[in-house]
This record gives sequence, C-alpha cells and structure tokens, in this order.
Amino acid sequence: MHSDKIEEFLKKNKIAEQAGGQDKILDQHGKGKLTGRERIDLLLDEGSFVELDKLTTHHYHEYEMQKKKFFGDAIITGYGKINGRQVFVFAYDFTVLGGTLSQMGAKKITKLMDHALRVGCPIIGIADSGGARIQEGILSLDGFADIFYHNELASGVVPQITASIGPSAGGAVYSPAMTDFVIMVDKSASMFVTGPDVVKTVLAEEVSTDELGGAMTHATKSGVSHFVAKNEYDCMDYIKNLLSYLPQNNTQEPPVIQTDDDPNRLDHNLINVIPENSLQPYDMKEIIHSILDDNTFFEIHELFAPNIVVGYGRLNGRTVGIVANQPISLAGALDIDSSNKASRFIRFCDCYNIPIITLVDTPGYMPGTNQEHNGIIRHGSKLLYAFCEATVPKITLVIGKAYGGAYIAMGSKNLRTDINYAWPTAQIAVMGSEAAVKIMNRKDLAEAKDPESLKKQLVDEFTEKFSNPYVAASHGTVDAVIDPAETRPMLIKGLEMLLNKREKQLPRKHGNINL
Amino acid sequence: MIEKVLIANRGEIALRVIKTCKTLGIKTVAVYSDEDYNSLHVKQATESYHIGEAAPAKSYLNQEKILDVILSSGADAVHPGYGFLSENSDFANLCEKNKINFLGPSGASMELCGDKMKCKDVMAKAKVPTVPGSPDLVNDADEALSIANDIGYPVLLKSVYGGGGRGIRLVHNDKELREAYDTVTGESIAAFGKSAILVEKFLEKIRHIEFQLARDKHGNAVHIFERECSIQRRNQKLIEMSPSPVVDQKIRDEIGQLAVKAAVAVDYTNLGTAEFLRVDDGSFYFIEINARLQVEHPVTELVSGLDLVKLQIDIANGEEIPFKQKDLKINGCAIEGRINAEDTFLDFAPSTGPVPDVTIPSGPGVRCDTYLYSGCTVSPFYDSLMAKLNAWGQNFEEARVRLLNALNDFYIEGVETSIPLYKTILKSKEFMEGNLSTDFLQRYNIIERLKEDIKNDTIQKQDAAIAAAVIHSVRYNSRVKSSQETNEYWKSKLDRS
Amino acid sequence: MDYKIADIEDTFNAEIVKQLGNSEYLVKINDNERNLKILNMSARGIEFILDQKYHKVKYLDNTTSQMKIVVDGVPITLNMHNNLNEIVFKNSGESGVGNSQLNLYSQIPGKVVKISISEGSEVKNGDVICVLESMKMQVSIKSHKDGIVKKIKIKDGGTVAKNDVIAEIE
Repeated sequence: MHSDKIEEFLKKNKIAEQAGGQDKILDQHGKGKLTGRERIDLLLDEGSFVELDKLTTHHYHEYEMQKKKFFGDAIITGYGKINGRQVFVFAYDFTVLGGTLSQMGAKKITKLMDHALRVGCPIIGIADSGGARIQEGILSLDGFADIFYHNELASGVVPQITASIGPSAGGAVYSPAMTDFVIMVDKSASMFVTGPDVVKTVLAEEVSTDELGGAMTHATKSGVSHFVAKNEYDCMDYIKNLLSYLPQNNTQEPPVIQTDDDPNRLDHNLINVIPENSLQPYDMKEIIHSILDDNTFFEIHELFAPNIVVGYGRLNGRTVGIVANQPISLAGALDIDSSNKASRFIRFCDCYNIPIITLVDTPGYMPGTNQEHNGIIRHGSKLLYAFCEATVPKITLVIGKAYGGAYIAMGSKNLRTDINYAWPTAQIAVMGSEAAVKIMNRKDLAEAKDPESLKKQLVDEFTEKFSNPYVAASHGTVDAVIDPAETRPMLIKGLEMLLNKREKQLPRKHGNINL
Repeated sequence: MIEKVLIANRGEIALRVIKTCKTLGIKTVAVYSDEDYNSLHVKQATESYHIGEAAPAKSYLNQEKILDVILSSGADAVHPGYGFLSENSDFANLCEKNKINFLGPSGASMELCGDKMKCKDVMAKAKVPTVPGSPDLVNDADEALSIANDIGYPVLLKSVYGGGGRGIRLVHNDKELREAYDTVTGESIAAFGKSAILVEKFLEKIRHIEFQLARDKHGNAVHIFERECSIQRRNQKLIEMSPSPVVDQKIRDEIGQLAVKAAVAVDYTNLGTAEFLRVDDGSFYFIEINARLQVEHPVTELVSGLDLVKLQIDIANGEEIPFKQKDLKINGCAIEGRINAEDTFLDFAPSTGPVPDVTIPSGPGVRCDTYLYSGCTVSPFYDSLMAKLNAWGQNFEEARVRLLNALNDFYIEGVETSIPLYKTILKSKEFMEGNLSTDFLQRYNIIERLKEDIKNDTIQKQDAAIAAAVIHSVRYNSRVKSSQETNEYWKSKLDRS
Repeated sequence: MDYKIADIEDTFNAEIVKQLGNSEYLVKINDNERNLKILNMSARGIEFILDQKYHKVKYLDNTTSQMKIVVDGVPITLNMHNNLNEIVFKNSGESGVGNSQLNLYSQIPGKVVKISISEGSEVKNGDVICVLESMKMQVSIKSHKDGIVKKIKIKDGGTVAKNDVIAEIE
C-alpha cells in the first residue's frame, strides 16, 4: 500500500545521498579527498550513524539560487557512536556548491550543537568548505556568527574537535580555532583568514596555499593545528584516539581503560636517562614513556613549541595530562609559544576533570629582545594563571633544573599544586650556581688572585647549599624527594589519593587572564 | 666441597645452573645488570648482586666487579655459563689465583683451545685430522686473498677468537673477501675485544657433528655421544639433535675416541665439546674444542639421563667420573630448537621489546629451558636466545612430532621469533629423512616454504579472523559503560539549576 | 563491512545478523551464517567458539583502515575500507602496502656504522642502504623497492630506534 508514497520517499533519500551529483563526487575523489558521507562512515562505528536534517534545502531566491537546490545543503549532520560512545558529528560537503555555508546550513549545525549540549556528548566537525555562500551575503555571515556563538556555549561543556580536510577560508576558520582540538590533513587542508590571491593583490606577496595556511604551517609556526594527519584514515585515528582520553562532558571523569602494566612497576633505568653533565640534554619523552602505562602517551601539538611537551597518557588506566619541559629543544627554556601551548592545554584539562602531571627541567625563560618585545611577560603570565586556576589534581615532579620564574611557573607548590616531588638530581634555585656566583661574589672574584679556582669553589659551595632539592624539602615546598625508580608508583598513589579532590573558589563571572 | 656457586651469566643458562645447585643443596649467587632487575635468575638465586649498567662490558664482562662479588658473597665456585667470560682464560686464571673453583677447564687449556691455530697444531701432532686452511694468522686482506686463492674458493674468514657465529663469514670470491674482511674484524672486536683472522677451506654439504666430552682431574676421560647441529644460519646453530642420523655405533666409537684423544692432547678437564665437520664421503675433520658447557647440552642430557651441570660440579670437587665409556648407551632421540628473538624475513635481525604474554609448552618428553615469563622484556643488549625447546622420543620420529607439537603450543607475544621457521623445517621431507647439512636453509629453499606455510596458516584461520573482526565492537560495550548510565550526574545537575 | 586479509586474495563481507543470547551472536561471513559464542573477554582479547570450534584471539592494534590480531597464535592483518585506498593515499604518497611507500623504516634498533648510498643514488629492491650494529651483529638494511634515494634521514655513528625512518626512496 501507498507504494507511490514509499517510492517518492526512497527516491528523495537516494538523491540526498548523491549530494552534488556523480561528476562532483568524481572531482572530489580525483583530488584525493573523500566525500562528507564517506568520512563520517570512516569515523563512526559501522551502522551507528543516524542522520538529521537530510532533506533540508536552502530557501534563497536571489541570483537564481532557487534553481540550485540540493538536499542537505552542503552540510551533513547527525549522531552516532565512536567505539561505543555517543558523539555528534557534522561534515561539510564540498560536492554541493563548494561546501559553502548558507543560512540553512548554519541552522543545521547549531541545531546539532544544541542537541549535543542537551545530551552532553562531544561534537566533531569535519571542515571542507569554500567559506561563506556569497549569494546569500549577510545571511551566510550571520550563520557563521551563530556557529561561533554555539562554539562558545559548548566550550568547556563538551569536547569539540575539528578535522580540517580541505579549505577553510575567511570567517570559516574561526570556528575551528574556537574548538578544543584541530587536526589538519597534510596537503589537503588549508586554513587562512585571507587567501593567497588577496595577499598577492594587496601586498604583492607571492605565496602558495600550502605555505600560507597548510597543515605543516599551522602545526609548526602558528600553533593553530594540534595534529597533522598523513591522510584521512590517519585523521580519523587521531580523533578516535583523542576521544578515548576524554570524558563525554564536563561532569564526567574520563573513561578508565584497564591495563596490564603493573602500577607498582619500578624502572631502575630512569636515573640513567639524565646525563652526569647537567649541560648535556636528554629526551624528556623517554621518561614520560616509562612512567605512563605502556604505549599510552598521546602527544598533542608535537610540532609546535617543541621546548615543552604536552599530551595525554594513562596512569593505572586513568587519563592524565602531561606538561613537561623538553631539554633537547632550547634546553627546555620557556618562551612565548611554549607558554601559550601549555596554558591552553592546562585549561582544557581543568575543564574536563583531567589531572595534570608536570615534569620540570628548565633553566628559565628565553632572554632577548624578540621575546621581550613580543610580550613574554604577558604570555608567560598565562602559564602561571592557568596553573593557579586549575582545580583538578595537580602533581609536579622536578627532575632537573628549576630556576627562578620558570620554577614558579612550572607548577610550584604555592600555585595550589597538590603534591610536589623532586628527584635527587633536581636543582631548585633562584638561578644556576654559575650565574648566581657571578652576581653575588662579583667583588670577591674581581679581587681574587686565582679567580678560576675561587669561582669553582664558590660554585660548588652554592650548588651544595642551594642548588639541590633538599633546601626546598626542608621548607616543605617539595613534599618528598623520591627515588627515580619509584616515580610511577608514587604518581599513581598520589592520584588515587586525590581522586575526590574538591576546591572552593569565590564566585565571579570569570577572571581576567592576560590574553 | 663446593657450597656456594656464583653464576657469571644471565638468562636461561643462569636458571639452568641454579636448578641443579638447588637439587644438590648448593647455594647460588646471581649477578645482574640494570637491564635484568626483574629477571627470573635474580629472583631464584639464594643471593643476588647488582654489578653495573646494561652494556656487557660494564657488567657481565667486568671481571673485577664479578670477582668483588665472589669474594664478598663468600662463593667458593664460579659457573661462567656460555658466552661472556666462559672462554676467557684471563678470568679462569683470575679465579684460580683467588682459589675459586672455576666450573670449567684450566685457564691454560682454555687458552690453547681458544687459539684455533695453536689447537690445530696440537691436533696435527696427535694425529687428529683437521680442515685445510691458512697455516697461521693472516695479517691483512691481501694475505687472506692469496691463501684463499691457494686453497681454492669458497673459503671461510674466521676470527680466531670467534664463536657463536660471530666473527665468521663465508666468501666466494676476491670481492666478497675484501668486503667481509672488515666486517669480520669489526664483529670480533665488538664481541671479544680482539681480532685475528684465519682462512679455512669451506667444504660443501657438510654436517656439523660434535661430541660431548668429560674429563676429570684424575685423567679419566669419556665422550657422552654426539650431537648433530647441522641446521644453522650465519654459522649459528638453530636445531640440534642426538643421535645423528648418519652416526652408527661403530662411527660413534671411532670418532668418539678421536674426540677423547683431542681432549687429552690439550689436557682438558671438566666438560667441553669437540666439534667436527663430516663431509659427504663420510670423513670427519676436527674443527675445535669448545671449552665450555654448550647451549645444546640438554639434548645430551635427555638421551643419557645425566645432569651435566652436576657432572661439572662433581669433577670440580675432585671426584672421579662415576661411569666408564662402556657404561654409556644412547637412549632414544632428542631434538632441540633454539627459540631466538629474531625476524626470519629480515635476515634474522634481532627483535627486542616487552613480551606481554608467554605460553610455555609441556607434556611427555618436552623440556623447555627459558627465562621468559609474561611481562618480561627481551633486551637489545644481549643475545637473542630466549628459550631452548627440547623434545625426547623413543625414536627420531616421535621426538620430531613431539617437538612440532610443542612449537605449535609455544606462544610468545611482542617479538618476532624463529618458531614459524622451525615448524617449516620440522615438517620438511628433507628433515624427516635426516638429510641435513649446514646449508640446509638455502639448499632446500626453506625461507620460501616458510612463506607458503604462513600463507596456509592464515587461510586456515581466515574465518575465525573475520569473525573476531566483526565481533570486535562488542568488546566496547563491556569496557565502556554506555553514556546514558554514567550521565546521571549530567542530568541531575541540569535539573537542579 | 568488507574485509581483506593481507596475503590472501579474497575479500570477505561480514556482519552481525543478530544477538541470540547474552554472549551469543549470529554472524554472516560471505553469505554463510555462523554461530558465535563469546566465552571470555579481557583487556587483551577474546575467546570464542565459532560453530563448535574454539578460538583465542588477541587484538593488537586497531586503526580506521587496519586491524592487527593474533588468531590461535597466527598473526593476521585485516584491511578495511579498501575501496577508498586509492583516493585516500593520492596526496600522501604512502600506500601502507610495503613496496610503494616512500619511507624505508628500520625494523631494529642499532647504531649506524655505514651508509652505503647517497642522496640521488638509484637503488633496486634489496640493495643495501646502510649497515646497523645491533647486539654485536652487523645487520644490513636493504631497500624495500626500486627507486631513487630522495633523502637520507640517518647520520653515520648515530643511533636508530625501531620504526625510525632511514631514508625516503621515490
């Protein structure tokens, strides 16, 4: 019965799934890009996708647009599961009118985001768009604004991830920038506020799309992108992996993934990672890999500001956020980029109940006019602010040098850190022994008969007196000096103790972090 | 009487020695490097001492450190195992000097055996036939080249201090010889600290047959049958067995006598092995005496019923060997496979890392000597031998089938192993017929057959694999509680505000 | 979903038809319906009976396009979404199929004792690219394909870890 009605229903659905048409799909494939539906298929568990607003169309009439109506209107929205967890997903469809955003498209996206906020599930957006639909003019721009508003509403409530697998130009780039994590696919993705053509016209500067705003540019120079995926498969893997460390929303704890890695595992090799000569660098990631559960370190922002390492890992099955100085890059000094990178990471962890483990080995802040004129003062203060603000369990471990302002900034005790540990190799002081002696004993050294040996003697005295963890331990600024081999069990026990931590904060609209 | 033995070694051989000492009521002292903190031998010994960093030179080869531990632990004997310091005459002499009972031959006879050139001389005098080769050490590649051309290619470039497959290369022409000369020198220095090369004729289709020797301090000497170790790669043994398919009692007696003669000629005491090459026409050539207890000794233990480590201790205690040659009779057949952590398809490159799960086979006639346990790690600093899997049977066929089944049951996760290769070898017609030679792998295209076998195994399991893939998602429901259940707090929070 | 097993020509189509009981499912593999009963599930893997035959499977690795498992001791690699491979790998130059990929990876850790080629050299499948010293053995790393060496990523005397890129070969 009603066979003609059923037939019409099936026909409409089929057309909707054809998106912009077979030839447009072939074009897209020819460029080495998948269609929106294919991408959602790769991302979500098989058969779990439920599409919403499949048959929506735009309702614009200027410029003969009524002749160019497509079901879905360049946006695919819906919900589904990723490894059994409910998520909301929207994808731009480049085959329909170049993936441009219309008023209807924006409505679809904001409708989806409202859903996600009511239900408390993560939102994943796949960007592949020509930007605003010029024909719709101001309506398209207002549409973007609405999306941005919803990004803000969701920020800190549910995790938002953007996968950029194509162009995103003009206003469109701000939505990804407001989300929590951005993954760009190398050679396919590009993001910029003004494209190469306009740049050439206005500034007579010639630059390619990839160089101006490609994946590698944003991963290494601007820090806009957190991950670079080799290809679309890789991109989906990043999203799935990332989600496994995060909770569904800010009221939940991240999922606990049981591991066979013994929580009491000692590693006697850890102390050997630190070279005898404190001027020699070592790879902090070796230490990170050892203390976390096997194979669980997921680095974020790997190519940006390599002098600080941030990422997720698991300790005894529970997600933790790692913030660590990296001695092989800039000797682990803090600078503008690393302060920004770490601060944003810490604030995200704070939003989503993820404890923060800080590993310290830094000689201080980078000096120089470049840093000063570009505002190291402002940017450096972000790191301090972020640490103070975070009320999730915080544990800091000082491994090597921790001098001056950088010592304070890297999760020191009085920034409301819960537990502070130090290795016997830690050197916690206002500054390095050499520098200190030069200042404090300037006169003596100038007047000495044998300045070299006097300097050596004074430096050794200073090191013994100040540049070690025991002074800090004697004042309680460091709760314990621990055996490096026991680092993992000590951290796990600390986290277990801090599981139900509660902190009070005076009510206010929000603080004024120095942006 | 020996009361406390320090084992200057690690891995499965350390465990082996500990086991015999336990049955004899002898205390044991284990030593370990940074890498071996969590090893079984450390946990099973009576006392354990940390001796240094991972690199062998800083730990297991550090004679001063080890001597320190011997003295401070009060050990009165040392078992050097195989490899490391087992054939280091300096160490043997050091022990002797400090009145510590070294479970092996004297430093002097060890030195003689270790010097392949001198040894050859001694054998020539004792009328024990040896392999044609360079009369002395060669000083450089050119000299090696001229000797090679004299005796005729193919030849082996051998480091005089080599062993265990290191410092030895087969070359077929001048070009290869020049290339290999540096490699052999390099490997020898890396493993043994010194290099000195000799050239030896490479004989085709040879079988490697060795005789287990034992000689006490009273001059009594016996051989405890032969072992055939022809299946090798890069001159390292992979599969060994006793008895050899081509050795009957007459040959056993004849060559066994030669082996004993060789031992006497170098005044060898305690346990050792005389290695021979058997050419296709049946003639045997003496190669060398290995002045240590060998990796493949379990094969001999299984067909003789003896505990060779116990015999070592007895001899070191000054006792006489409690049996005569005529008392020894081979019982059944034993085959051993050396389970190495290696990638067969990558030219047997070592494979290292954590081993999260291990299943060790057992059953009638199955013996597995190993240091593996679930959660251990295969270290890149040491030898790739993880386990010795032995099977004994009333005859060759029974042993072969038992070993094959045991290989099927042996599961090692996390590293590449030689288990698939051995299964292919044991199933091959040539192996079943006892048609062995040192070029077994190449001669019978074993690696190609291995690829076929792997493909067939995969096809066998394809349905199960697909089923496992399809059912994969079901696991998430058991591990991750559905969002709905744990989202109660979300709901209640919103309602309240 | 469609699956392809590495080393085997056939493609398999499989899905869960329905759940029969608490841990029992009806699955369909290439038009054959099979009964699957899960005995045990752990962090490592799964034990089940497929049509009266017992199997033990470990899941080692699972990405969007590939699943690595061990079935009764036999390691097997499954590929999914094969029909999209050509499109996805178009720009990245890497095909996940050993021979045409750009990067030559090291399968072992070791120290570089010799680099046998230079940037721009033409190499054939099996040519020695470099020699690493590992566990006192010298191991030659050979090229996985014919091509031209685009970039050498290692240094003489440097250390290489497992899975590090040794060279880019086009």
